[in-house]
Amino acid sequence: MHTAQHMLRTGRRGSLHEFAMAYADLRASVPKLGLAWSLASHDVISRYRGSILGPFWITLSMAFMVLGIGFLYSELQHISLQETMPFVALGIVFWGMISLVIIEGCETFVHASGMLSQTSLPMFTFVWRTLLRNLVTLLHHLIIIVAVLIWFGYWRTMNLPLAIAGLVLTLLNVSWISLAVAISSARFRDIPQIVTSVMQFSMFMTPVFWKPDFHSPMMTLVLIYNPFFHMLDSIRGPLLGAQPALQTYVVLIAMAVIGWAVTFSLFALTRRRIVHYL
Amino acid sequence: MKAPPVSITVKDLTLRFPVYGVDAKSLKKHLARVAIGGRLSKSHHGSAEVTAISGLSMTLKAGDRLGLIGHNGSGKTTLLRALSGAYEPDEGQIEVKGRIAPLLDLSLGIDPSATGLENIRLRGRIAGLTTREIDAKMDEIGRFTGLGPFLAMPLKTYSAGMAARLAFAVATAVDADVLLMDEWIAVGDADFQKIAHQRLLSLVERAGILVLASHDMDLIRLYCNKVMRMEGGVASPVTSIKDLDQLLAQA
Repeated sequence: MHTAQHMLRTGRRGSLHEFAMAYADLRASVPKLGLAWSLASHDVISRYRGSILGPFWITLSMAFMVLGIGFLYSELQHISLQETMPFVALGIVFWGMISLVIIEGCETFVHASGMLSQTSLPMFTFVWRTLLRNLVTLLHHLIIIVAVLIWFGYWRTMNLPLAIAGLVLTLLNVSWISLAVAISSARFRDIPQIVTSVMQFSMFMTPVFWKPDFHSPMMTLVLIYNPFFHMLDSIRGPLLGAQPALQTYVVLIAMAVIGWAVTFSLFALTRRRIVHYL
Repeated sequence: MKAPPVSITVKDLTLRFPVYGVDAKSLKKHLARVAIGGRLSKSHHGSAEVTAISGLSMTLKAGDRLGLIGHNGSGKTTLLRALSGAYEPDEGQIEVKGRIAPLLDLSLGIDPSATGLENIRLRGRIAGLTTREIDAKMDEIGRFTGLGPFLAMPLKTYSAGMAARLAFAVATAVDADVLLMDEWIAVGDADFQKIAHQRLLSLVERAGILVLASHDMDLIRLYCNKVMRMEGGVASPVTSIKDLDQLLAQA
């Protein structure tokens, strides 16, 4: 049956019960993935309603950005286009996904306030909605990636399975960050502003456009402690035929485990209150 | 095959709303004397708190059609939202057996820039219907709205009454055991109200339990066989509709 046949809601019965209820919410969100998908694709359709290119407008503007920055950095850093262009293209596309899942996470619960305050839909449904919406956008941008990989010949040397593993690890990480941001933005309305600035700052601190240089100790420090560097490197490296450092995988897996544990606990403890924050 | 039992059991339900970002200290004394609204108090961590429902217990079984009456802010809608599963109890417990259809807000999930058909699909998905079920019901819903070719137009081109027809048609296209309704039944023109009434009656007949919050006593008499009065978050016992006048006289 598609709707819950039996609903039991109780007052607080200790932290263990709160965790059990949070887990029940997560489990109940799995059959609702279809709904999350419907909402996500509706979001994409309605955002570009009436335009001819639809979501490909973003792809197009991203392609221009890739061209511009690719040429500029190739000149500035005296590196061949062959090397710069794919690096910048993959950097911009995947950075776009990482940063938008986090920035749009701010609105996950705020935008769903109508549904959250009068239905028993699992709250995780809306977390998946934000994630799926950005995956749909990423699919449009695949054009840029495929074009670049073929044009510059990287498709012969790329390690696709490893890149997909990197994408999965990255998604595991951005999803908990997105949830953490969703909960805190519902409670404190300053969070979205802070998140936007942090992500903008991170864009410059992460080698999205510029090549990482491990010769400078200062730079190495900035890179190693930057989670976004590891995310980006785990996807982009294998696509460009490079093997990411083992350290990258250790960081990503550790971050996913600890991040989810902490964020899930936060969710368990605030779950009852989130609807009242809105 | 025996139909699964439909029931609502509420035990000692207390619901408090924390009010964030508002300093209620200065307002507190003043508001406490006002007849409408819940009781304001201070929670243990110092933020303002509204007790919307306190110590409510009731049991409903299949065939019960409960009318909720009471002032604005007496906790009627809050109770409906708690029964829908959106609000978690602070104390006590709520147990609902059967499929719940909350019809609290007609505009839920409605996107003004999408067409009528798209809105029917979206609203149906939110209500828990599968794509196939919506396709099967599409013709029936479309016919009921009486909007014809307008269904392919964006909702923003509709008049308020037309939009209400569409929303009503989708919202009532569900099969549910427990129907939760807030007062919004008077929509559309006179013709539409007549067919809307028929549709609601058949929906209510199919559903095991109805909980309807309204200020309109005629409406309550029309749809309900039991009644409960709420005041400042405190509920009277559930009584038969025959005692409605008596209940009103106590106020």
